Amino acid sequence: MTGVLVTGATTPLGRALVRSLLEEDAVDAVLAVAAEEKWPFEEDARLHYLRVDLTRERKIRDLLFGIARDLEIDSVVHSALHRDVRDHGPGVRALNVGSTRQMLFLSEQHPTIRRFVFRSYADVYAIDPETPAVIGEEHPLELSSTMPQLVRDRVEADVTVCTRMGMAPLHIVVLRCAEVPAPNSGSQLWDYLQEPVCFRPLGYDPMINVLSIEDSVRATRLALRTEAQGVFNIPGKDVLPLSEAIAAWGRRGIAVPGPLLGPMYALRAATRGSQFLYDLNRARFHFSGVLDGRRAREVLGYEPAHSLDWPALRAA
Amino acid sequence: MLAAPRIARTVARALLHPRELERLRTLRWSDAGHGYDLMGLNPDWVALGAGIVRPLYDVYFRVTSHDAKNIPPSGGTIVAPNHSGTLPIDASLLYLDVLRHTSPPRVPRFVADTFVPQLPFISTFFSRVGAVSGNRTTVRRLLDEGELLVIFPEGTPAINKPFRERYRLYPFRVGHAELAIRHRAPVVPTAIIGAEEMWPTLTRIERFRAFGAPYLPVPASPVPLPAHIHVYYSEPVLLHERWTPDQADDPRVTREAARLVQDAVQRLIDHGLRDREGVFA
Repeated sequence: MTGVLVTGATTPLGRALVRSLLEEDAVDAVLAVAAEEKWPFEEDARLHYLRVDLTRERKIRDLLFGIARDLEIDSVVHSALHRDVRDHGPGVRALNVGSTRQMLFLSEQHPTIRRFVFRSYADVYAIDPETPAVIGEEHPLELSSTMPQLVRDRVEADVTVCTRMGMAPLHIVVLRCAEVPAPNSGSQLWDYLQEPVCFRPLGYDPMINVLSIEDSVRATRLALRTEAQGVFNIPGKDVLPLSEAIAAWGRRGIAVPGPLLGPMYALRAATRGSQFLYDLNRARFHFSGVLDGRRAREVLGYEPAHSLDWPALRAA
Repeated sequence: MLAAPRIARTVARALLHPRELERLRTLRWSDAGHGYDLMGLNPDWVALGAGIVRPLYDVYFRVTSHDAKNIPPSGGTIVAPNHSGTLPIDASLLYLDVLRHTSPPRVPRFVADTFVPQLPFISTFFSRVGAVSGNRTTVRRLLDEGELLVIFPEGTPAINKPFRERYRLYPFRVGHAELAIRHRAPVVPTAIIGAEEMWPTLTRIERFRAFGAPYLPVPASPVPLPAHIHVYYSEPVLLHERWTPDQADDPRVTREAARLVQDAVQRLIDHGLRDREGVFA
């Protein structure tokens, strides 16, 4: 690994990954790509920042066959997916699916890129009472047409990358990560837990799993080193019931009949501009869905090690 | 300590003898980090479950346990009992029986029907005391982790078998046999005597499908009858010594293996029926 291209580099995860890569002497260059005009964080001689509109194929081509070739980038970490669940339309799809497809296909033709790591989400898995509460990589995908575009796009992008495994001259790794409750990361749970009172469905208290930024970065670093390719679940260290997550966050949880929650949170979203959509989370607020990380442990050597900083989250 | 386990612990303290509580503190379980395992089990809730069942077990049904030494003290194990009683009261009595007669106590991980996670309150309670939804991935994982599974091989239909069919086993499904062969887990044939008379089903309302339930059972009496329950455990059947794991996919093998287990349970039932002095005695 000499040069790494990171898309979505200005998100909390992207920034942490860039910082972590720069701490490694073996990395000659980090090419950070995002939509912001300038790199908003600390500078480094080995860090190259570029604002790129990834919805345009020409821009991706210029990126990969221009500066990325000059820097001899050999690994790509693609994590630039749209984060706001309320947005929809062709522009959103172009970023979520189109850019992923282009990044992958152009990386296959690239003279120096040898590895493609796609950061996917646990949202791609279907959660319902018929499916296992502990989710393996073979778990059914969420292909329901009633899901918002954000989820459908994430599934399509994930499957697009998976179809090239073993076919492309690249090492392809897909990391299906548990939710990272962090601001500006598109986390539904983060938005849900911002209110002092959190409503949850009466009679249900499913197990949820959340991932820390530190573990997410570590999993990505391990994926950049591995010789294996495949799909890997990346669970977090925190596995707990929803009610206890609410309490640990310092919020008051109130259980109300499930059918009321959709209208209540739709009203909240309409009046306060919040991102949490109950309909998107209905299944996982009723039925447990915890990622099984055994494959990542056995092949990547990944074991969740960092809990969320609950006291800090409570204080925030 | 957060609210729910604290409440569970307080109630369990009121319901259980201190010695029993102390014993349950030695429970073997795998903490996923916040006092729960991956499936939602919590030891305080296990104690609460034991506390709730205790009056039924000790006083109402006066359960007598036979040969519990046949339950392996560790490692992946499948307990395969007969099933009856309109509601799974037999399962709750077996739950406490296994907890009491294994040392250190092993939590029986009951494999429930897939409609159970849809039931409000019950789904949460079941997962906290260790029950899991019956799907292959989950039970395989539990066996890999050396847990003790309780699988009713007759399936949900048996719980509402007509009174005239009591103690006649429905044909065993093959899932437990396949798991036992594949994961090299011993199967402990188990007979619950008395449960098939405790609460006969009068009829069932097939059109009742709330929360995914297959039907609504209507029992013949308003409350279960105080039958004397006997639980018998046979010596483990070692299916994996007869077949290799790669034979677990062969339907003839799994059918034959399930039949062996069914025969063992039927023999145990016949023995238990011969030995008891009466339904209520």
